[in-house]
Amino acid sequence: MTKEFVTRSVEAYVGEYASGKSEIAINRALELIGQGRQVTLVDLDTVEPFYTLRPLQEKLESLGINIICLSAKDAFGLGETGAMLNPKARWALRHEGDIILDIGYGVYGARTLNLVEGAKESKELKIMLVLNYSRPMTNSRERIKEYIKSFDRIDYIIANTHLGDQTTVDIIIKGNQEILAVADEIGLPVAFIAADISLAAELEKQSFSVPIKFINRYMPEAMWS
Amino acid sequence: MFLEVLISVQKVIGETKKAFLTGNEAIVWGCLAAEAEIMFGYPITPQNEIMHYWTRLAPEYGKGFLQTEDEISAGFTVCGAIQGGIKAFTATAGPGNVLMQEPFGMAEAMRLPVFAVIQQRGGPSSGTVIYSQQEVSLTAFGGNGEGHRIVYSTATHQELYDYTIKGFNTAWKYRFPTFLLGDGYQAKMREPLELYEPSERGIEIIKPHALIGVEGYISEGREPQHLRNIYSMEEELYDVVLGFEAEYNSIKNDIIEYSEFQCEDAELIIISHGVVSRAAEDAVTALRSQGVKAGSFRPITLRPFPREQLLNIIGKSNAKKILIAESALGQLERIVKNEIYGQTLPIETLFMPGVGIIDYDIMQKVKSIL
Repeated sequence: MTKEFVTRSVEAYVGEYASGKSEIAINRALELIGQGRQVTLVDLDTVEPFYTLRPLQEKLESLGINIICLSAKDAFGLGETGAMLNPKARWALRHEGDIILDIGYGVYGARTLNLVEGAKESKELKIMLVLNYSRPMTNSRERIKEYIKSFDRIDYIIANTHLGDQTTVDIIIKGNQEILAVADEIGLPVAFIAADISLAAELEKQSFSVPIKFINRYMPEAMWS
Repeated sequence: MFLEVLISVQKVIGETKKAFLTGNEAIVWGCLAAEAEIMFGYPITPQNEIMHYWTRLAPEYGKGFLQTEDEISAGFTVCGAIQGGIKAFTATAGPGNVLMQEPFGMAEAMRLPVFAVIQQRGGPSSGTVIYSQQEVSLTAFGGNGEGHRIVYSTATHQELYDYTIKGFNTAWKYRFPTFLLGDGYQAKMREPLELYEPSERGIEIIKPHALIGVEGYISEGREPQHLRNIYSMEEELYDVVLGFEAEYNSIKNDIIEYSEFQCEDAELIIISHGVVSRAAEDAVTALRSQGVKAGSFRPITLRPFPREQLLNIIGKSNAKKILIAESALGQLERIVKNEIYGQTLPIETLFMPGVGIIDYDIMQKVKSIL
């Protein structure tokens, strides 16, 4: 085993629609690229694979990320095929370097991880649950607990409360406080709080019990986000 | 079972709150707030998450769901449930919308308060799963014969929620089938909106009532419930259709909705509907900053169409030209031209069938026709 293999990051991002998992996954991939690492970002939305990373593929590749998603060319002629797994995604964990998996389609999407060769046995894989307190299905402590129960396994929580363009510091603080309280209660670690970089100046004045990471938004470049 | 739920309606939303949702999810919350009881549907993109999200919430709120064998069946089961006094709805798109025209036509004939969400996708046929405004003619005028229906064309997630609540009420108040016309972009986009209890805004949710099997006896305190979609005599049908027409005309001013943006002194009026109107309003702002006096008119009800309102706005403006912009090959244009017949301003068009229109597209077109 090479040293790189032992220390590499393999992370799967799961969560509700609009929780911010794709955004967090992209930012994480770029963070690792910034550390001079080799990174593969995998779009694992098997149901509607043409919505998520495709419009951003060229841009992210130019930033040095190896992207595995269905390109417009791959999709040509397929139409509405139902669930579909990109063969490259199935073998994603065999790639060298860090692997970031962006898992689509809500709770059920997390099950697509079963389709990735070696995911079940992997000792490196960390499953990261992205939570947004502004989502009705995760907008109370009880609902968050119920939601977490629907997953087979979660390793870390990422507190990503936001309201899109209407996000305020108050919304971030209040929502994430609730997420942190639930995480504490059920004994799940919170990897970090995520917040839009435009609010960094105000948020840096606050103190949080977990690290805060500021993210750039890439998804608005995709027309539906 | 449904009756019990109906009696003990729970507050779904509670305290008014901002939420970050996809459009399909916003519609489901609207259906719950409107006290809908059951959805019948058949999967088709881009409305699938209405079904998914409804089935996720249904057990929690004591609601029903049935996936039927196809859209024809989904439409007819909605018609059947409604006759039994159940507040039922469906959602579909594209070829599914074609198949549902038969039950929608029956709803027109029998005056059933059907509420249906249409999330437009590209056509003809299966086209794309993504987006278009190509289901305007079908949704507003589909069905054989000349039935009467009401079509709201939304532009934001807030409106998807608001007009879902309103749409159920319109259907049950007037007993004309009512449609919420969205599109794949609105279905999939994520946007903040405010979820509220209708009662908090003074909106009274109209309770459903059975149309058949009602209590009492004919001639002893109640009229016969005569729901018909077939007639033996031409003259009989003629009277029925003219009766519907007269009733529709008598209520349409209560239903018509539109919005206008900076038309008062406009030299050019851009007419668009749905999500494209957002681009039109952005284009108006940008054009005005460049010295072009543009304005935007948006019919919210595509049927009944705000004819008098549009003519009035054109008349009061300084408009020298009209531009119609739509993600279709002239479906809105045909409606507008028909409605404002006699108006002599030149009409230019920006048709992008099945493709999104952004402010830049409209600005380029405006500059090319000035």
